[in-house]
Amino acid sequence: MFRISLIKITITAFLSLSPLLLWSADRIKVVDAEGKPIVHALIQVDNQKPVPVNAQGEFDIQSRNSEDRILVFAMGYETMVLSAEEYDALSVITLEPNQEALDEVVVSATRTDRSVEDLPMPVTVLSQEKIQETGGIRLSDVLREQTGLQITSEHGSNLQMQGLDSDYILILLDGEPLVGRTAGTFDLDRISVSNIERIEILRGPSSAIYGSEAMAGVINIITKSGTQPKTLNLGARYRSFNSWNPYAELGINQGNWKIDALYDYFQTDGFDLTPEVVGQTQNPYDAQTAQVKISGDISEKLELSLFARGYLENATGALEVNAGDPNQRLVSLDNQLRDWNFNPTIRFKPNEKWLLSLRGMSNWYSTLADSRIQNSEEVFDLQGFDQFFHRTELQSDVQVNDQNLLTFGLGQIIETVEATRYEDKNRFDAGYFYFQHQWNPSDRFNMISGFRADLHSEYGGRISPKISAQYEVSEKLSVLGSIGSGFKAPDFRQLLLNFNNAAAGYYVFGSTIAEEGIQNLEEQGLISQILINPESIGELEAESSWAFNGGIKWTPDPRVSIHLNAYRNRIENLIETAPVARLVTGQNAFSYFNINSIVTQGIELDLGYTFRENLRFSLGYAFLDTRDLDVLDQIDAGKLFKRDESNITTLVTRSDYGGLFNRSRHSGNFKVNYKERATGINLALRGIYRGKFGFADLNGNLILDDPSEFADGWLSLNLTASKSFSDRINLEIGGTNLLNTQTPNQPNNPGRIIFAGINISIFEN
Amino acid sequence: MKTSIKQLAISALALTLFTACSEGDDPLPIVPVETQMVQDFEAPNDVIDRTTGTIVEERPFQYFSLEQNAQVSEGDDWDLAFKGTTIRVNATKNVSAAIVTGIFDQIDSVPADASFASDTETELAIPTGGGNGWYNYNPALNTITPIPGRVILVKTTEGNFVKMEILSYYKGNPPVAEIDPFTTPSAHYTFRFALQPNGSTEF
Repeated sequence: MFRISLIKITITAFLSLSPLLLWSADRIKVVDAEGKPIVHALIQVDNQKPVPVNAQGEFDIQSRNSEDRILVFAMGYETMVLSAEEYDALSVITLEPNQEALDEVVVSATRTDRSVEDLPMPVTVLSQEKIQETGGIRLSDVLREQTGLQITSEHGSNLQMQGLDSDYILILLDGEPLVGRTAGTFDLDRISVSNIERIEILRGPSSAIYGSEAMAGVINIITKSGTQPKTLNLGARYRSFNSWNPYAELGINQGNWKIDALYDYFQTDGFDLTPEVVGQTQNPYDAQTAQVKISGDISEKLELSLFARGYLENATGALEVNAGDPNQRLVSLDNQLRDWNFNPTIRFKPNEKWLLSLRGMSNWYSTLADSRIQNSEEVFDLQGFDQFFHRTELQSDVQVNDQNLLTFGLGQIIETVEATRYEDKNRFDAGYFYFQHQWNPSDRFNMISGFRADLHSEYGGRISPKISAQYEVSEKLSVLGSIGSGFKAPDFRQLLLNFNNAAAGYYVFGSTIAEEGIQNLEEQGLISQILINPESIGELEAESSWAFNGGIKWTPDPRVSIHLNAYRNRIENLIETAPVARLVTGQNAFSYFNINSIVTQGIELDLGYTFRENLRFSLGYAFLDTRDLDVLDQIDAGKLFKRDESNITTLVTRSDYGGLFNRSRHSGNFKVNYKERATGINLALRGIYRGKFGFADLNGNLILDDPSEFADGWLSLNLTASKSFSDRINLEIGGTNLLNTQTPNQPNNPGRIIFAGINISIFEN
Repeated sequence: MKTSIKQLAISALALTLFTACSEGDDPLPIVPVETQMVQDFEAPNDVIDRTTGTIVEERPFQYFSLEQNAQVSEGDDWDLAFKGTTIRVNATKNVSAAIVTGIFDQIDSVPADASFASDTETELAIPTGGGNGWYNYNPALNTITPIPGRVILVKTTEGNFVKMEILSYYKGNPPVAEIDPFTTPSAHYTFRFALQPNGSTEF
């Protein structure tokens, strides 16, 4: 079997019965494909307790009715269901290995289909099952439970990976990038988990194939692609805070054509952690997602697919202005978000060894924030933002021979933006080329190397190389490592954004318009204090990084899996927002700056242990160390001081320094998955721990250096129970943060949430 | 305004005053330098209407004489003028200032590299803006806090040197963690200073 294969690896689910028909005997033996006994197999007759086989893999059923079904389970193998008749005809049962577990395909790492087992970089794949067990409704609910990932609250649900924020994480939907960010954050609450087939989490820089943004890693959301002739799923989820999520999924697979469609509605009343203040912590909003994917084979060599998606979000809220006419202080907010995607793709395969893909991708993203004084309906503030992103890309994959797969890509990007107070429509053009070589010289060793060259209308050229390799020390142990460079060009937002979050009352200005923006605010008398002279804001440079990732995949026993990854990212010219002016409301106007450089490094460990076929434990741990090198320089130069409550000033030492804000040095999770056989109830208990993190500076020097500046660690205990009825109806019930831990320094934690959901398959498959 | 002025350190320096002055190779008499504490010196900023953007009420600067250790009026020989977070020096009376980094108690002389400047039309000797002059602005908490280790050196109307450290911008000099930017009255300066009355650069 090719370990790297151009032809899409088919996930064959060997569910077909292939019992070896011998003569009937009392004792029946369970064996693997090589005829060796499977000694950890379990046998269950309907409505009876499961029974283990003996040391020879043999068992005998004492009592059964002719209508009973007999289930044969074993970890790592496909479960076999036999009727009493079939059972009587057997003496040996051969279980097929669980192919799904072995041949999990990952697209995002190489932009070709590739088995996760063979990937020389750290990748986590979340199956539909794993997504469902979180009981989550939005993508943030699912990702917050994964080792090494954090969801923080910064202009929406902000993902943190390898200690880096959402700005440095590329979010892909079926391989195509999603745009539309607020102050760098891609709000993960914009993505519904309905219709997701799997999520690929690729860690480490991937600019060598994806270019800008893929610095910390890539999240690729793969939507469902129907395998059944026709499916119609109707579902609804309800949870605390009057959150309500009905959805419908349709799938048709006829002849050469496949259609998948989704409609998903979500609404929530939001929550309020500070009821004494006007305005909620999270405003009420509703969101609608509609999505259609059509693909078909025009001929044996030509495949066409179209993907279209629309997302509409409306949020309402209120805020109180601190000054002015007492009757004019309440302001109502109405924020709209519109996001449209259209991605046509043509795949042409002239022969077995050559694949050409032509991909088009267009994304329209717009926001409108309308704030009005409640008593007079007068406009308090009105802000619009329209972004268009288009990419055309041609990729060619050539399977030179069994050992070599070459990928060439060529692409062009057009990006435009129009926003309130811009006189012109701004446009950027970019072109790029990438090359990748997947080399598989032996069964035990493989290597992926490549680079990407980006040419940008504003920032000139950039070359991003990466090399990764994996060596299989033994069947049980693989060692892998990669070195790569990442970059992130200053985007429209950082250059041109003119954003007012009326809800929170802050402004964000791109570096090229900061001066003008501050001047405008000043003329309106909204500025109480200039904090950084906007004239001094220079031209932004692209951020760039070098990173190392290295680790092991170890299976000391078939029941145990151990994944370990250690990494170090060093980023130069990091762009961060900093306040340039304080507003009379006490809020701020921000702009963007190249903050010298930072380092993030850490270790991520995942342990899995399958105790029994129906009982699995897993444990995740992440260690994270971050530092701003500029701060360290200041400390070393003796320029950073701190003052205690008795006004005693002392020098800050290196050992006082706690790194970047909002990062937990330690975090982790434990998960227990248990299937209760008698009732068929699946239980997923998870404990998600976030270690202490620095939330704010409290001693005046703006860095993290005092014990009082850390928020306590906390544990979120989450439980989901689900049960299927006749494979057509699935019920789930559960809760997150069951201990109802309050975390005032983490405003995206509303407290305990209870949820329930139902999913009905209309057609039998 | 509530200004209470306390003498912090009437120290035993008086004992060393004359003994240290040996054989007259130092022509200047050594005078004890006392550290003065000024609490809750109130200098409110203009009132601005958020919705209209106009200044509803313009507030005056509040003047302080380091020489007299007292609040004075605009017509007097003031050294520093405060309004909101802005601090001006009396340029017409040749008052100048420099900002140095160090621990207040350990600064025993005016450093040779301290660059004194007076206010001009475009630039203030004590710059405004977070991180620039005397304070940091914390965007997460919306608080104004004096930068630890920043010491302002002032050459007064009399030509004497002063070292000065601002300790708080909030009424009652509360610990930073207890400041609520919306309810704790701001523009209440607490600072300490030491003036060398003999014109030397030693403190």
